[in-house]
Amino acid sequence: MDIARSIQSIDFLTAFSESVLAYPIVLSIHLACIALFGGMILATDLRLLGLTFKSLSITDVVTSLRPWKRIGGTIMIAMGLLLAASEAEKYAPNPFFWTKMIILGLIGVHALVFRPIVYSKTEELDRSPIIPTKAKVAAILSLCLWTAMFVMGRLIAYWD
Amino acid sequence: MLLQNAVGDALNNTEWAFALAECVHIGGFAVGVGSIALVDFRMLNLGLRYESTGRILKYTELWTVIALLFVVFSGVALFLSQTDVYRVNPIFPLKMYVLAAALLYNFTIHRKVAKMENPPPLLNRLVASVSLLLWVAVVFGGIFTGFLV
Repeated sequence: MDIARSIQSIDFLTAFSESVLAYPIVLSIHLACIALFGGMILATDLRLLGLTFKSLSITDVVTSLRPWKRIGGTIMIAMGLLLAASEAEKYAPNPFFWTKMIILGLIGVHALVFRPIVYSKTEELDRSPIIPTKAKVAAILSLCLWTAMFVMGRLIAYWD
Repeated sequence: MLLQNAVGDALNNTEWAFALAECVHIGGFAVGVGSIALVDFRMLNLGLRYESTGRILKYTELWTVIALLFVVFSGVALFLSQTDVYRVNPIFPLKMYVLAAALLYNFTIHRKVAKMENPPPLLNRLVASVSLLLWVAVVFGGIFTGFLV
């Protein structure tokens, strides 16, 4: 708790959580990112499963959306950490918050595992007559992780 | 009034119903707005360039409609659970006006231009930018409504 208190006592974080406008603005940006870039994650996963965008190659979908997902993800995580840090004492005992952080970690593991064999090998996937199982596994896991991520985000508000 | 009470009671008296409605609401707009944003990014020439905007719209429009229906129905349920609060909320009516504008825009001008064979690049960019702005404004409206409840 001491660590949580000292985090949220950092001057700019205190000013941030006490501002009437800053907190909802940052939360709105966090959610707007979910809407704008969440659709790209969904599009990538559904393409890997062969369910949509079939006239586009996997390479086109993955590589053209990659920079935007990176930018969107960075803004989303930065805004999320800002929200959590400004109310660190409230978040520290919240099990939904920590579950969400664990899922965020798992998303990192997912990237480490599947980038070298799926996301960086899209040309190989496109050459294959049927979409390889590893690509489908990557897509399904990604869909599950991101769904859990957003459900946990909402549930954080319900723990007291 | 009867419906209002039935839905409101269900949401207020069931422990997880309100949270579930909120999850459907947010999940729905992530898919609905996200699928519109894919068309917008294509119109802005920022992604999915190897396919026409018309085809991208064809791929996404069913997802958009289904997801937005989920958003609207869960939104109505959330509204009915606390009508008194929303009625005096200064931001809520603004959000509804912007939402009405965004929906109308999406299924008229936006759709029409997205289906054009060779739209002027400037028109494409303008229509996509307005679309993104409108939907981001709706999201801001939703969060600010929540903060003033």
